[in-house]
Amino acid sequence: MARSLPAPRWAMLLSLVVLLGCIVVPGFAVKHKDFKTCEQSGFCKRNRAYADNASSQGASWSSPYELDPATVHFKDGVLTGVISKTTTANEKVRLPLTVSFLESGAARIVVDEEKRMKGDIEMRHGSQANKKRYDETEKWTIVGGLEVSKSATLNAQSETGFTNILYGPDYKFQAIVRHSPFGVEFQRDGQTHVQLNHRGFLNMEHWRPKVDGKDGESSEDESTWWEETFGGNTDSKPRGPESIALDITFPGYSHVFGIPEHADSLSLKETRGGPGNHENPYRLYNSDVFEYELESPMTLYGAIPLMQAHRKNSTVGVFWLNAAETWIDIVKSTASSNPLALGAGSKTDTATHWMSESGQIDLFVFLGPSPNDISKTYGELTGYTQLPQQFAIGYHQCRWNYVTDEDVKEVNAKFDKYQIPYDVIWLDLEYTDDRKYFTWDPLTFPDPKGMQQKLDETERKLVVLIDPHIKNADKYFVSEELRSKNLAVLNKDGEIYDGWCWPGSSNWVDCFNPAAHAWWATLHKFDKFKGSLQNLFIWNDMNEPSVFNGPDMTMPKDNLHYGNWEHRDVHNVNGLTLLNATYKAMLERKKGEVRRPFILTRSYYAGAQRVSAMWTGDNQATWDHLGASIPMVLTNGIAGFPFAGADVGGFFHNPDKDLLTRWYQAGIWYPFFRAHAHIDTRRREPYLISEPHRSYIAQAIRLRYQLMPAWYTAFHEASVNGTPIVRPQYYMFPEDEQGFAIDDQLYLASTGLLVKPVVQKNTHSAEVYISDDEKYYDYFDFTVYQGAGKKHTVPAPEDKVPVLIQGGHIIPRKDRPRRSTGLMRWDPYTLVITLDKDSEAQGSLYVDDGETFDYERGAYIHRHFNYRESVLSSEDIGTKGPKTAEYLKTMAGVTVERVVIVDPPVEWKAKDTVVVIEDGAKLASTASLEFYEQESGKASYAVVKKPNVGIGKNWRIEF
Amino acid sequence: MRLPQSLLLLAAAGSAAQASSDKPVRPRGLDPEFAKFYQDSTTFTCISNPSVKIPFSAVNDDYCDCPDGSDEPGTSACAHISRNSPLTVADRPGNSDLDTALALPGFYCKNKGHRPSYVPFQRVNDGICDYEECCDGSDEWARVGGIKCEDRCKEIGKQWRKQEEQNQKSMTAALRKKKDLLIDAGRQQQEIEDHIAALEAEVHGAELKEQNLEADLKLAQEQDRKVVRTGKGKGKGKVSALANLAKGRVDELRNALVDVRRQRDEARERVKELEDILAKVKVEYNPNFNDEGVKRAVRSYEDYAAREQGTEDANGAVDRDLDEIAKADSEENGINWEHWENEEDGCNDLDLVYKFAAYLPPSLVSFIEDRVISVKSYLEEKGILPKADEDSSSESKAVTQARDALKTAQDSVTSLKNKLRDQRADLEQDYGPGSIFRALKGVCITQDAGEYTYEHCFLESTKQNQRKGSNSVSMGKFSNVGTTTVEEVNTAGEVVNVEKMTIEYNRGQSCWNGPNRSTKVILECGEENKILKTAEEEKCVYSMLVTSPAACAGGEAGNDAPRSKDEL
Repeated sequence: MARSLPAPRWAMLLSLVVLLGCIVVPGFAVKHKDFKTCEQSGFCKRNRAYADNASSQGASWSSPYELDPATVHFKDGVLTGVISKTTTANEKVRLPLTVSFLESGAARIVVDEEKRMKGDIEMRHGSQANKKRYDETEKWTIVGGLEVSKSATLNAQSETGFTNILYGPDYKFQAIVRHSPFGVEFQRDGQTHVQLNHRGFLNMEHWRPKVDGKDGESSEDESTWWEETFGGNTDSKPRGPESIALDITFPGYSHVFGIPEHADSLSLKETRGGPGNHENPYRLYNSDVFEYELESPMTLYGAIPLMQAHRKNSTVGVFWLNAAETWIDIVKSTASSNPLALGAGSKTDTATHWMSESGQIDLFVFLGPSPNDISKTYGELTGYTQLPQQFAIGYHQCRWNYVTDEDVKEVNAKFDKYQIPYDVIWLDLEYTDDRKYFTWDPLTFPDPKGMQQKLDETERKLVVLIDPHIKNADKYFVSEELRSKNLAVLNKDGEIYDGWCWPGSSNWVDCFNPAAHAWWATLHKFDKFKGSLQNLFIWNDMNEPSVFNGPDMTMPKDNLHYGNWEHRDVHNVNGLTLLNATYKAMLERKKGEVRRPFILTRSYYAGAQRVSAMWTGDNQATWDHLGASIPMVLTNGIAGFPFAGADVGGFFHNPDKDLLTRWYQAGIWYPFFRAHAHIDTRRREPYLISEPHRSYIAQAIRLRYQLMPAWYTAFHEASVNGTPIVRPQYYMFPEDEQGFAIDDQLYLASTGLLVKPVVQKNTHSAEVYISDDEKYYDYFDFTVYQGAGKKHTVPAPEDKVPVLIQGGHIIPRKDRPRRSTGLMRWDPYTLVITLDKDSEAQGSLYVDDGETFDYERGAYIHRHFNYRESVLSSEDIGTKGPKTAEYLKTMAGVTVERVVIVDPPVEWKAKDTVVVIEDGAKLASTASLEFYEQESGKASYAVVKKPNVGIGKNWRIEF
Repeated sequence: MRLPQSLLLLAAAGSAAQASSDKPVRPRGLDPEFAKFYQDSTTFTCISNPSVKIPFSAVNDDYCDCPDGSDEPGTSACAHISRNSPLTVADRPGNSDLDTALALPGFYCKNKGHRPSYVPFQRVNDGICDYEECCDGSDEWARVGGIKCEDRCKEIGKQWRKQEEQNQKSMTAALRKKKDLLIDAGRQQQEIEDHIAALEAEVHGAELKEQNLEADLKLAQEQDRKVVRTGKGKGKGKVSALANLAKGRVDELRNALVDVRRQRDEARERVKELEDILAKVKVEYNPNFNDEGVKRAVRSYEDYAAREQGTEDANGAVDRDLDEIAKADSEENGINWEHWENEEDGCNDLDLVYKFAAYLPPSLVSFIEDRVISVKSYLEEKGILPKADEDSSSESKAVTQARDALKTAQDSVTSLKNKLRDQRADLEQDYGPGSIFRALKGVCITQDAGEYTYEHCFLESTKQNQRKGSNSVSMGKFSNVGTTTVEEVNTAGEVVNVEKMTIEYNRGQSCWNGPNRSTKVILECGEENKILKTAEEEKCVYSMLVTSPAACAGGEAGNDAPRSKDEL
């Protein structure tokens, strides 16, 4: 301490507070030194320096990349050409360019390096690694949407030095390709929305041989070109420097979203320092980050390089298809012609800088114009979220660990005893025999089948952990087969890679190898995974992959995968390859018994939504982590992977009753709703919590189950058009600038439900932002909130999570509490209707068997509910298939038992019946209607008793 | 409001139902006990909310009309009426302030051939045959999804009766055993009481003896003082000779000191090195990796680090002193032996000591005063130096003998008193009703569960023994007998609190990142002493469900322990 001032009293108090704080919360924190900063990551450092150099030169900087006009060729929606890079040594490097204009309205820009493509390079250290830039990320990620637009056309009015392509719906889109320096501007309706290489940061590190003792000749800093050491591990970098980078600017856009996974706000922050900004770029390098910190650009377990930029009434996006380590810098600049007119007249540009360690430049550009459009187009490429089995949307009870099969059965019984519904119980690591997957500990789980049968009695499921690290042990059939069949990941010398994970010395299955998929499928078969039954599903954890003794807690980058691709090339997609293998394995467990697989993953990449659900990894039992879970789940949703959730209760440490209760009240709004806890925490199954909190938690869980029809419908919607299941404010109201940064409240799909979970201690009300001038009704007591563009105070006593229903919706519910979702199948529906300003309301419902793929052959019910001019009707919006009739027959007994109309016309006071007309019925019937007034401030409501209309039928109720 | 129910009532109501069979058909799922509310065949009045009246046709119409659900005894339509449900105003129209509770205990299954029972409303017509509660399958009367629950009451009832008979037998046996235990406990209690009486007498005798011996000693000492003793040292030793001897001795001690310091420094360095290693482990280990060994090591290290702080004594001043001492003696340093070797005789021992001190440098004098004794005793303790001979007594043999005899007597009194105290404490200890656990003390029972064998030794300890290895972990030492409240489900499917006897054990082996292990043994009535289940309720807090005849109700002859057999 340099200052010699006497320590004032407050300083002592402060240190006391700090000390006490340390006692309350054990001093765990993320181990920063285990994970790289940009400065410690050679290519990030180099590209930032490159950008700084370009910026500092200002207008005099010229990007050394030129598109040779002679090579430019446009045919059938595809533009090709060769970009020529002039090196510092004044050599020319040929970089083939392909720009495809897709039927969906997306454009794809691919840049590669000719020399590497041809394999015309020398590898250092005699490495066997593939010489090419990795071009197979697409293989794991893209499943469609690549149809090239035949109608895209050259714009005859291109200026000299430019090639302009008109494309998209009604030729509203235009790509302006500038030849020198190379750059592309994307316009919609004549306005520029996305600019590539606008700032001249485009950089593709060409191949060059290592020249020793050539000091002084080059001005470039070669210190990170040939070798990098981190965490005691030296990366041999056999191909030398090979990074790619590109600046992408969104002019006039002040918000960018997406690029999960980070524990940060929904609206991404600037990353080049300054107050409230990050110092490091957002990093995407799937890692097992222990005790991760919040409000950080630090990488986490998964990566989806999809970014949305949003401004009033316009959303555009980019998808950076690269599986190598990636860093993204974000800066925003506000320009204003009149410096005094900051605010209203000012225009903010958001400029981003994408840097990847290796691979091609492969970029998709989406021009919107709505967030929905981005979700849909991106989903066409990478696939929509899978329609899960119904149980997967129920409540999942997990803990590290339920210790015996008897323990599992007892937890199961306790839920019934306390009448709290749940669908799935989970087994973490310790069920295995000595951490060998596909085995059971013979002492603690002597009767796995009996346990699963018990669960099956109430249609409940078991999920067990299966990780990609295979214990390196003799007499362990999985390990023996992995090695003898040569299906493991290799080290740089081509030997089976050996690292440390849960079982100690382990090998990793290499799911880039098709043969590994076939083998992985055999392991999951009922006769091989002995003791597993049909109601067992899989949790793939540690698939970043997590390696306890590896750099960045993962594999060395020079490890080799199938096809001799270096781990550096494929790292971020590694987790997904395992999921693909498991998904296929789950389909093939037994012939003729195909059920939709359920897999939970920690690591993911674009495309993982097709096969899995994700959770936000090892969070902590703190209010901050509860709060952070909302933007994290929302971000995943807009990045096309909506089946997401955080560990309810917090993984590490013990939540107190208040926190746990609030976490359940928030967690029921995660699409993936699972409670989980670390092995060192106290047991916290909901029934163990003392009253009144037990009831509060039970109410929250039952609320989730009550809304199950709405949830399932939301999942269905996501599975056919990619829309998020829970949606952020800007997504719902793209025109309301005040709402763009709001990330602490959410909407459940298009149900009209607006939720603001309480995430602060001792807080008993919530400020809910309402964007429009519709009436919003409190879900529980129909209190009316109205007033656009401002926050409304909604009471939130401890037993209540603030939920509002926007006017204009019809929400399907099932109000009878059951033990599991499966047992709700035959229950009747309640429809809750809130009328909008025009006295209208809409809603939809999707129902199927919740298990099989029969829905693909028409075995489902899809209804659109419409309330208009005092008539409520249900119409079929499904498409008939061979199994439709049969399914409808099984559902014939399922009806609507109740219709609740919130805020009905006052004239209904005089009404006591409504007319019910069902298709196929000979005569119209009536049902009774009761009108209930409430005190002022709360809406009156009317209840139709037992209209008894079939859920699968066309019908009308006339009021 | 809820109406009381019990098995007895149920049975009685069951027979009443038959008697009233000519009356209008009782609504489905209704307990005959409640039939009186359903007599009016035109209007139904909700049981807990008499202001709400509905046409009787709305009873069991699969739609919930009553805020207390009493209109739907036979369907699941009112199953949501519960404090566990997220109710909205529309779920209790006009009654939004009412407490939400069902008036009926559940769907009543007649279970002909077995005994009637309730199944919770939420299980009615959910497609699952809940035979445990409803052996007649009547809970699935609507056959949703085509489910058909056949009547299994005949076989289930038969089994149940057989089981019940066995239970009765077992209960009788248990009570018999309990009686024996009580007798045994009473006998043991009596033995202790007897023992206490005997000990009290013994203490009294020993104290008398002690007093006598004290007097003897006094006498001997007085006689001793009368004898004039000549000094034993003749004072003939020459200073120079002494100096010679002393010099040798001092050198020897110095060498020993230097040696010990070296060893100490080496040991310190090694400790430092080890501490550094452990500190590094503590910082760098991955707590996420659940390796018990590492966790335990880190935990122990943390305890160690906390304990060792403060006793750190790398004291520079002491070391400087030691440096000074370690130097060889010379004119400038330490003792000038030459001077002493040439000293004339003629002073007595006492002078010698003062003189000796006068020739020492002041730093050494204070050092000797302060440190020599502690260093010496340290070295002795560590066995580095042999213990010096006890000062030979200048007492007479008689006094010594008297003193020894007194000491022995005193020891004996103390020991007897301790025994007495222990016995009295034992007598006051709560051994449960009728001191029954006295009879079970030290009885050990075990249960294999998963990778462990759990062991419960009544009123002594609980343990977790690894089945694969030989590792045994203490889950607690006996603390007290008590009671606890356990939540159980009654016949209506409601959660109710039941009081159970417990034996608690704590101060077991400490846990990594947690408390010392403790176990709450919850007792249930049973014929055998048996562990039914052991669970870790939270980190290192165990519960053990144990049956024992000692936990059965009845059999005590009042609060006091029964007298011993002989007296019966």
